[in-house]
Amino acid sequence: MGHPMRDVVRSAGLWHIWVRLGLQDVRLKFRRSAIGAAWIFVNLAVMVLSIGFIYANLLGQQPREFIPYLTIGMILWTYLTNSIVDGGNAFIHAEGYIKQISLPIYVYIFRAFVSISVTMLITMGAFAIVAVVYRLPITPSTLLAVPGLVMVMVSTLLLITIFAHLNTRFRDVAHMASVGMQVLFYVTPVIFPAALLRHRRDLTLVVELNPMYHLLEVVRQPLLNGVAASWHSYAAVAAIILVLAAGAAVVIAAFQRRIVFAL
Amino acid sequence: MPQILLEHVDLEFHVGAERHDTLKSALRHGIGRRRVEPRTVKALQSISLSIRSGERVGLIGHNGAGKSSLLKVMAGIYPPQRGVVRTAGHICPLFEFVTGFEMEATGWENIRTRALLLGMSPAEIDEKIDDIAAFSNLGEFLDIPVRHYSTGMFVRLAFATSTAVDPQILLLDEVMAAGDAAFIESARRRMNELMERANIVVFASHSLDVLPTFCDRTLLLDHGRIVADGPTSDVIEQYSAHLGQPA
Repeated sequence: MGHPMRDVVRSAGLWHIWVRLGLQDVRLKFRRSAIGAAWIFVNLAVMVLSIGFIYANLLGQQPREFIPYLTIGMILWTYLTNSIVDGGNAFIHAEGYIKQISLPIYVYIFRAFVSISVTMLITMGAFAIVAVVYRLPITPSTLLAVPGLVMVMVSTLLLITIFAHLNTRFRDVAHMASVGMQVLFYVTPVIFPAALLRHRRDLTLVVELNPMYHLLEVVRQPLLNGVAASWHSYAAVAAIILVLAAGAAVVIAAFQRRIVFAL
Repeated sequence: MPQILLEHVDLEFHVGAERHDTLKSALRHGIGRRRVEPRTVKALQSISLSIRSGERVGLIGHNGAGKSSLLKVMAGIYPPQRGVVRTAGHICPLFEFVTGFEMEATGWENIRTRALLLGMSPAEIDEKIDDIAAFSNLGEFLDIPVRHYSTGMFVRLAFATSTAVDPQILLLDEVMAAGDAAFIESARRRMNELMERANIVVFASHSLDVLPTFCDRTLLLDHGRIVADGPTSDVIEQYSAHLGQPA
C-alpha cells in the first residue's frame, strides 16, 4: 500500500523493462513490412507534400518557408495526439500483463511513453532532411529546441498518465479526446501560419490562449528561425506542465488502486 | 527474511459498477458516487494468515473458492479493499507462462523479455540464457519468430524461461505441462528444482495426490474464507470428506 507515488517511483526504477517493451512495440509494428520503420517517414512525407503544396498556394505562402513549418508542426501534433489517443490505452493494452505479473502499473505508462516518443524521434529525422534541403538557419539559439522538446515530452508523459487512468475507468474518454484534438487541430496554427490569425485582431486570442500553440512554438521557433520562442510561450508551457502534473497527481491518487479492477 | 502477512483482508469485485461504467452514467449519477445496484462479488472475506520463511503452503478449494484471488493479493496484483497485506522478499507469481511473449519476436528476444518481466536482471539473464536455451531444446529455432513454432515448441520455450527464476517467494496456480512424455518428465523435475530453490512456495492445486509431497501446510478455502489451515494430510482429509457429501 503506502503512498500512491511510491509505485510511480518504483516503476521508473524498472527502466530496463519499460525501455525494452517500448522499443519492442515500435519494432513489432513494422516487423513484417517490406520497408519497416520507414513507413513512419513515408506517412509524414506524403502528408506534408500533399498538404504543403496545396496550402502554400492557397494561403499564399512560400514553400521554402511553409514546408519546414508544416513538417515540424505535423510531427509535434501527431506526437501530442498519440499521447492522448494511444497513451490512453496504455493500461488497457497491458491488461494481460497487469493481471498476471506483479509489476507496478506505471511500467506500462513509461512503456507507452517510450514507444510514442521513439516514433516521434524517428520522424524528426525527416525534419532534418527538410532542414537541409531548405537550408534553415542554424544559430546558437537553434539548440533551444532541445529544452523545448524536453518540455513537450514532459507534457506528453503527463498526458499519457492522465488519459490512461481516465480512459481505463471511463472508456469514452479516448474517443472524446480524439474528437477534441480534431477540433483543436483546426484552430491551432499547424497547417496555416500563426501570422495569418495575428493579422486579424479579433482572432489573436484564439492563438494566444491555445495551449497547443505554445507547445509547438517552443520547438518550432528555435528549429525554423534559430531564435527563442516568445516568453509568452515559455511561460504558457511552464503553466501547462504544472497543471498537467497536478492533474496526473489527482488521477493517480483517485484511480491507482482501481485500475486492475476496471480492466 | 521472506514472509507473507495478511490481516483481515477483504477483496471485492464490483461487477456492473466498474466494468461497464461509462462517462455518461457517471455524470448522470455524479462522479464518485456508486450506481444504484452494483453487483458485488466477495472474492475474499476477512483473510488473516501468516506464512514464514521456509514454508511450503498448499491452497485447495472448489473453483471460485478464492484460490487465485488470494494468490493475486499476495502478489500485489489486486489491492484489497480492506485489510493489510505485508510481504518481504522478491515475489514471483507464476500463474501462466506466456505473458510477454510476442509472436513476431524471435525465441531469444522472447526469453529476454519474459525473464525481465519475471524480475530477472539483465546480468542474471546473460548468465542463465544458455541454460534456458538448452532446456528448451530448440537449437537454431530460437533465431526465428515464435510465430513459426508448433504449440509444443512454444510451451517448451515458455516453460524453460519461466522456471529459470530464483524467487524468494514463489506463487503457483495449477501448473500444467504440455508436450511429449519425455518433456513432461523433465518439466516435472525442473519444476521441483524451482520449488526447492524458492524460500516460500504457495501452491494452488486440484491434484490432491501431488500436494502432500510438496506442502507440509495446506489451506482450504470456501467462498472466500479460510475454513481449514493445518497439516496437509488433515486438511485434505477434511476436504475429501466435504467433497463426499451431497452439495
